[in-house]
Amino acid sequence: MPKNLNIKPNIIRYKSEDFPRVAQKALAIEEMTMANGMRAVFYKTDNIPSVCINVTYHVGSKDDEERSGMAHLFEHLMFEGSPNIPHGEFDAILHDLGGDSNAYTSWDVTSYYITIPSNSLEVALWLDSDRLAGFAVTSEMLEIQKDVITEERKFVFDNTPYGSVEEESNLRLFKNSGYRNSILGNMSILRKFNINDIKDHFEKYYAPNNAVIALAGSFDMEEAKALVEKYYGGIPVGKPFTRREFSEYDIVEEIKDTVYDNIQLPAKFIFYRVPAEGTKDYYALQILSSILSKGESSLLNKKLVYDLTLANEVDTSVTGMEQTSIFGINAISLKGRNLDIIGTAIDEILDEIQNGNIKEELIEKVKNNIETRTALRKSSIVTLAEKLSFDKLIFDDANRINTEIYCFLSITKKDIIEAANKYLKKNQRVVLDYLPK
Amino acid sequence: MITEKLDRSKKPIPGAPRDVKFPGYFEATLPNGINVIVIKDEKFPIVSARFVFKAGSFFDGEKYGISSFTSEMLTKGTQSRSALEIAELVDYHGAFLSSGCDFDATFVSCYSLKKYFEKIFDITSEVILRPAFAEDEINRLREQKINSIISYKDEGDYLASRIYKKNIYHKLPYSKPLEGTESILNSLQKNDLENFYNTNYKPDNLIIAFVGDIDEARAVQLVEEKFGSFTGEFVNNTVAEDEHLNPEKKVYIVKKSGAVQSSLKVGHLAFKRNIPDYIPASVMNTLLGGSFTSRINKNLREVNGFTYGARSFFDWKKYSGDFAVETEVGNSFTAPAVKEMLFEINKMKNEFVSDEELTSVKNYLTGNFPLQLETPNAIASKVISLKIYDIEKDYYNTYISKVNAVTKQDINDVAMKYLHPEKVTIAVGGNPDEIQKDMMQFGDVEVFDDVE
Repeated sequence: MPKNLNIKPNIIRYKSEDFPRVAQKALAIEEMTMANGMRAVFYKTDNIPSVCINVTYHVGSKDDEERSGMAHLFEHLMFEGSPNIPHGEFDAILHDLGGDSNAYTSWDVTSYYITIPSNSLEVALWLDSDRLAGFAVTSEMLEIQKDVITEERKFVFDNTPYGSVEEESNLRLFKNSGYRNSILGNMSILRKFNINDIKDHFEKYYAPNNAVIALAGSFDMEEAKALVEKYYGGIPVGKPFTRREFSEYDIVEEIKDTVYDNIQLPAKFIFYRVPAEGTKDYYALQILSSILSKGESSLLNKKLVYDLTLANEVDTSVTGMEQTSIFGINAISLKGRNLDIIGTAIDEILDEIQNGNIKEELIEKVKNNIETRTALRKSSIVTLAEKLSFDKLIFDDANRINTEIYCFLSITKKDIIEAANKYLKKNQRVVLDYLPK
Repeated sequence: MITEKLDRSKKPIPGAPRDVKFPGYFEATLPNGINVIVIKDEKFPIVSARFVFKAGSFFDGEKYGISSFTSEMLTKGTQSRSALEIAELVDYHGAFLSSGCDFDATFVSCYSLKKYFEKIFDITSEVILRPAFAEDEINRLREQKINSIISYKDEGDYLASRIYKKNIYHKLPYSKPLEGTESILNSLQKNDLENFYNTNYKPDNLIIAFVGDIDEARAVQLVEEKFGSFTGEFVNNTVAEDEHLNPEKKVYIVKKSGAVQSSLKVGHLAFKRNIPDYIPASVMNTLLGGSFTSRINKNLREVNGFTYGARSFFDWKKYSGDFAVETEVGNSFTAPAVKEMLFEINKMKNEFVSDEELTSVKNYLTGNFPLQLETPNAIASKVISLKIYDIEKDYYNTYISKVNAVTKQDINDVAMKYLHPEKVTIAVGGNPDEIQKDMMQFGDVEVFDDVE
């Protein structure tokens, strides 16, 4: 049986008083919860006369189960029409008002945003809420979007160099949970969906109590709250459902494979399963990731790109997720170099860290960088609205926009060494060598 | 509380739009010709500085790739600090420093928290004024750049774009790869880079734009301290060669192994950035293929399901420019997609756009305009582009009124003037075995294994 891991991740929280060095002003966030359980977050900034509305639903590809690609297909269909908005009119009405929109699907959430000049805020709320208030997808809309996604899949997966790496790695990292699902889905399964399958998804997940709306931008606070209540407050509560609990088999032996792709430069990809977004270990590993690859003087860049000239580019990342996360390392080789030598060089650096050899100044350097990044992130209403609704939905804490920086700044050298030893073990990883076909 | 049931069939009525003004900024010119711009913004404790030399790959001559190589070498060591020392200093302060170029300009950018900015400005000044061009760093960057070219060639859109530019710009430098070629990169020596640097990096073609939490007076003082003794004059010796439209449609396919989609780039020569009908042409293109609801995206994606997305644009450069439609479509949709593009371009020329379409596109462009002014850095980019392309200073102040003044006749005029569907170059990065025959309906088809 797979083991339950981190069913409720242990999220860390801090207060600003603990960190006097950070001179960033807290953003004033307001919140409300409507009678139907839908939560709303507001941040007013009068920088430009525009508003971003973000609505994020707690459903993603990990919930697809046997309906491969459903969450993402549904994201496409949300733009196609709703009970009072004819097919193709959603974007046309928005553009006509000077607005724009887009969306993304991850394993955990489906997130939609609209940008709109402030004077048309109500029209945008009317448009967006109509697609939550009722279902109007037709088979004509469905069939066209299946074609579009077929091309999307070719574009991002088949025809892009190294484009298959995310799916190839997740299939090996996850054996039981929905995180092994392909976001774009399996086309032969997706092709067979009918309107009832789509409607099931809508009725189960597209409920006000399974969503958060966030507004960031220039608006009157009381008026905006009243408008959100007017358009979303009357939408009926969804039926309760139980989400499958997260459980996974332990990886106890390195999983190593070769993938042949239409590429010329071989590449090495290494992945580890690590704790969920918001946990202390997650932040420790985020800082480690920056120590390894952020900037030309970072450890992996210095060794692989600069000193040994083995790689053309090196990168690391922590992909944060609700119930788990992925620590990834990738190195695209210079022509003629050996992937095994690249792998050994990476391991030498990880061994050093696991043995406790990290200079304090490397940690300080990342913390400086995080201060800069945090400030920059607050300057876009699209980014702000997305973060506010995501944090409220996943962590029930919209104020993380102000406090998350302290989660980073509280990490010590000891935390990083412990996390590296616990989670970045050679026998717990997936290694994929990409070679030219 | 909901007291009455909401009638969702009624579309709310928008309020009156609010006025949008392009923010003012500080500007000064030093005796040596350096143009200093300051856009002060105290919201966040961050300062950035952007250095722009109004000279880029257009001046490469036969050694194409040299502008890009020279610009990237700036941060790879100065007369007093090694590449690694620079990187460590910048990284330690959580700052950012990078350099590069496009055809019309060379850029060096840095930013950091306010508390570290003067240190970062100091090191950035040093990389601009006293680069070392050390042999070992040249060799290291050379190999990286050659490998980057190798990996670009795995991408269909790169292949399509290369063969397209080569065949529409002819003798203009815009026909060449900005990143160079393997053989040219291999031939470049230290003195080539030094010569390019000495000829093109001059104070009288330098703009320094500061953005963020910094006083105007302090910004000017910093420039005077570091760049006061920077002297010289930039001389533009390059003559824009005669440019001409190709006489007829022609298809070029560059082979991309294992391709399941065709990367398409279909278009022709258009005009340089600084022309009087830039705004009507932009409005026309937004309708044609410049947004999600444009005719081309609607046709190719929403009606036919040929693609995940399709777009058209004018790529306006300083001395010339082009018009192109770009998309990625399944192999079997290649010829049908080109047919639909040509249909939409012809329709734009042959019929007046409707009143509704015209109103909608104007609202879209003017309504989106504030978002483009959201950050001081975005404003700085706009100010810099006015300077690179010699555009009138009040361009952004009059943008909304000029967009609103465009008529159906103006749209038709620019469509007639700038769209030439009968003379398009149809460039494909893809699988010739599966598409070649089908593409012959458009004209001669040439297939290549590689493209420079």
